[in-house]
Amino acid sequence: MSVLEVRDLTIRFGGLTAIDGLNLKVDEWEIVGLMGPNGAGKTTAFNCITGFYKPSHGQVLYKGRDVTKLPPHRKAALGIGRTFQNVGMVKSETVLENLLTAQHTKTGYSALQAVAGSGVVRQREKQLAQRAEAILELLGLADIRDRRLGALPYGTLKLLELGCALATDPELLLLDEPSSGMGPEESHQLGDRLLALRKELGVTMLLIEHHVPLVTAVCDYVYVLNFGKLLAEGEPEHVRNHPEVVAAYLGGEAPAALAATEVPDDQQALAEATQ
Amino acid sequence: MHEVLASGSQFSIQLNFLSPLIDGIANGAAYGLLGLGLVLLYKSNRIFNFAQGEFATVGAIATYVFYAGTGFLPKLPFFLAAVIGLLVATGVAMLTERLVIRPMFERAKVILVVGTVGVALLLIGLEGLLPYPKTQSLPEISDVLRVQPFVTRIDNVAILDQDVAKVVMLALLALGAFFFFRYTRTGTAILAVSQDATAARVVGISVERISLISWGIAGLLGGVAGVLLAVPPAGSVTPGAFTGTTLTVAFAAAVLGGMTSLPGAFVGGILLGLIESFANADASFVPLLSHVQNGQAELAVFVVLLAVLMFRPRGLLGQEA
Amino acid sequence: MTVSTPPVTATLDLRGQARPDRRIGVRVLAALPLLALVLLLPARSYTFGHIAAYAAIFVMVGLSMNVLTGYTGQISLGHQAFVGLGALTAANLIHTGTTPADPFMFGVGMVSAAAASGAAALLLGAVALRIRGLYLALVTLVFGSVFADAIFTLPSLNGQDAGVSAYRPSAISGEYRFYLFAVAMVAVCFYVDVCVRRTKLGRGLVALRDNELVASAFGVNVLGYKLLGFTISGAIAGLAGGVFAFWTQEFSDKDFTAAAGFNLALTFVVMVVVGGLANRGGVIAAAIFFALVSPLSPMMGTIAQHTGWLNFYNDHKFYISNVIGAVLLLQTVILNPGGLGQVIRPFARWFAGHPFALHDPDGDSGVGAMEGSSVRA
Repeated sequence: MSVLEVRDLTIRFGGLTAIDGLNLKVDEWEIVGLMGPNGAGKTTAFNCITGFYKPSHGQVLYKGRDVTKLPPHRKAALGIGRTFQNVGMVKSETVLENLLTAQHTKTGYSALQAVAGSGVVRQREKQLAQRAEAILELLGLADIRDRRLGALPYGTLKLLELGCALATDPELLLLDEPSSGMGPEESHQLGDRLLALRKELGVTMLLIEHHVPLVTAVCDYVYVLNFGKLLAEGEPEHVRNHPEVVAAYLGGEAPAALAATEVPDDQQALAEATQ
Repeated sequence: MHEVLASGSQFSIQLNFLSPLIDGIANGAAYGLLGLGLVLLYKSNRIFNFAQGEFATVGAIATYVFYAGTGFLPKLPFFLAAVIGLLVATGVAMLTERLVIRPMFERAKVILVVGTVGVALLLIGLEGLLPYPKTQSLPEISDVLRVQPFVTRIDNVAILDQDVAKVVMLALLALGAFFFFRYTRTGTAILAVSQDATAARVVGISVERISLISWGIAGLLGGVAGVLLAVPPAGSVTPGAFTGTTLTVAFAAAVLGGMTSLPGAFVGGILLGLIESFANADASFVPLLSHVQNGQAELAVFVVLLAVLMFRPRGLLGQEA
Repeated sequence: MTVSTPPVTATLDLRGQARPDRRIGVRVLAALPLLALVLLLPARSYTFGHIAAYAAIFVMVGLSMNVLTGYTGQISLGHQAFVGLGALTAANLIHTGTTPADPFMFGVGMVSAAAASGAAALLLGAVALRIRGLYLALVTLVFGSVFADAIFTLPSLNGQDAGVSAYRPSAISGEYRFYLFAVAMVAVCFYVDVCVRRTKLGRGLVALRDNELVASAFGVNVLGYKLLGFTISGAIAGLAGGVFAFWTQEFSDKDFTAAAGFNLALTFVVMVVVGGLANRGGVIAAAIFFALVSPLSPMMGTIAQHTGWLNFYNDHKFYISNVIGAVLLLQTVILNPGGLGQVIRPFARWFAGHPFALHDPDGDSGVGAMEGSSVRA
């Protein structure tokens, strides 16, 4: 059974159809890439899957269960974690506090127990802190645990955001451009890290990514969106040589664009276009 | 038997109807006047100005001080005093812009709003602390115009000249504002800034200057409202006179009108004035209101405000939420 | 992967983090005079105990505003309604007549005061949830005045316009004893505030204050938590109101309606902003200050008497406290957004066991509470 299945997903904003009949599937233990030029509807798809947008049509199945209409916090509780394109964390809190906040659904005590200051709370809080520090350790961020987010560099924030997403204890992780703000070296490390995470924690992942080497390195399967429609799908090697994909990244209608630009090497063109 | 009852009730309905109608329109005009200033500042700075009621009070008190004369200040004719009063209100509003709003231009809007609450508190305090004779009052309109008090009567219900003045003034100012925003450079510049400050900057409009001008106009509008509201017999000049209920209803009027629409503030003001006066006059037709002894009018205003915000956030004439 | 056990912990070596150095002794010694000041000074005189109890009530309201504005990021310009509702509930329920309150009924009354205001706040919150940004400030303003003017003035609830008497139980009838009771109530509210801030509740509230999308991605039920913030804040304000009724020994609607109510509501906002948003210590300090300079405070009157300004003070006390509040508010928002809390933070940190430093590099600027909040246009 697939962890995530999206069936015929369509969403319209006023007259604009942002996503038109999208179908995709992510199986357990897979890392699946979602690619496409800017404005193709990738983040919109994420927002539908995680419940931030209500699709106009279609279904989102999580482990075989229809979760289309659940609000975001319920989906987070079920084990769908996500990151945001422009770093989504609690700005006024410290690194450690963010990791604690991210474990919101795993605290194991009730609101009433919290207000009453019950003993369970203290004990559980200690465990939450231990787990937060373990995640920091895992990502090599232990030395910034008490820093506030304001002063941290973007690359660190992106990595920390991944940590927060892990702290929600996800079975399915949706990563929105995890390598943005990272150099080639860091992004290579990120690839290794994602593979290691899958191996150690068994997390299934769906990621939006422009960085082709990273996609090639980690993804088992890739979907390419353009103007809200599925353009191509398949193994990374197959997809990046797909003529329509190349054309989409260069703009224009596929055959016309191909004819006009006379791309000497599809692979090189895609790499250039996505940089 | 039946006919007698019917005609009797018809008569009483007419009486019950006309008096609150006139009250409502007159009060509504005052709310609309204050609402115009609120809408203007919402358009130019995207904030709610909780000091707008105090711009009105300051204008009224300044007019009164120059009219009555105190200490080294001479007694001035009413119209001269009113002009000075309006200048003072305009000046206070512009000072507010320079000293409070400008330093926080880039901050979150809610902080600016808290700042205007601070300005309102400060003005109320200063109005109370400054020494001026607090026993007299402004002259009635008929005295100012040196005419017989023209109390119009319709079916035995008196229409005060003060009320007529309010409605006429509101109509004139709303019309003036309309032409100002439609046909003058400054007016269109204010609208441009309200729609997109960055784009306005790009085409060479000084956002800071526009903000200052907007506050000045808002102060002037507030001052006019204040002087009209303070005219006896209904009005008076006390510190903080127009911040409590008056400002609240003016806000509700602006929201009902759409917060971004100047004619909307006018319409909203009149409507709320009517709702308020009818709720006060005879609340028995609304089941909830009939149990309440005090504040029926405010309750009605609150319900309208909530209903507008929940079901039609862009109000009657607003362009956006 | 199973949901319950955190696998990361299992696989990784956990090093104990170094805790900040705690030389408890010095700090306890330093805290003693402060404690003595709080507990013993009000015993000196009737007046002092009276005003100190009033300050304690203000601190409770400050903590209530701290939860709503500081943590949840929602602004309330109508908080006097919740305090008033608490006072009304306690006075009417305990119904002392001319005799001291029965201790048991007194307890029930206090709990009911908190419950009634909590419920009212929940109701307002449920309506307000659909209203965004600055409009919420407006709604709370109108709600406060309408609620007070329409409900508090009902003759069946305000003792046929004569006020409802609220005589204290004999055990705490003296000013000093009542002050100690008020301090105990402050301690309860303080404890709740601390519990909220240190657990998932506070983290959830702050998360939704900063960014609702992120909060819900972390699994925080944004609507539910906003309601929770409203309810806790309302309940604390209601308890403060219950104590207030027995401080004045009467519930009178005039304390909460019209201009008096409006002044009170604004004072509460001034308190929480001047104290520093989401800064418990700062808010408490500001609450005490504003209680002392409030028009009800005998302190200002005594000062005026000794300096020969008594008549002027009596005629102008509302305006004087307005100006003090306004000047402090304006200087805070324009020049010193961290508020009083920012100023006292080095000392608070030292008491909490950190080394003394005037500048805390990673300190919360305090600005975040409003700058980053979802309360904006």
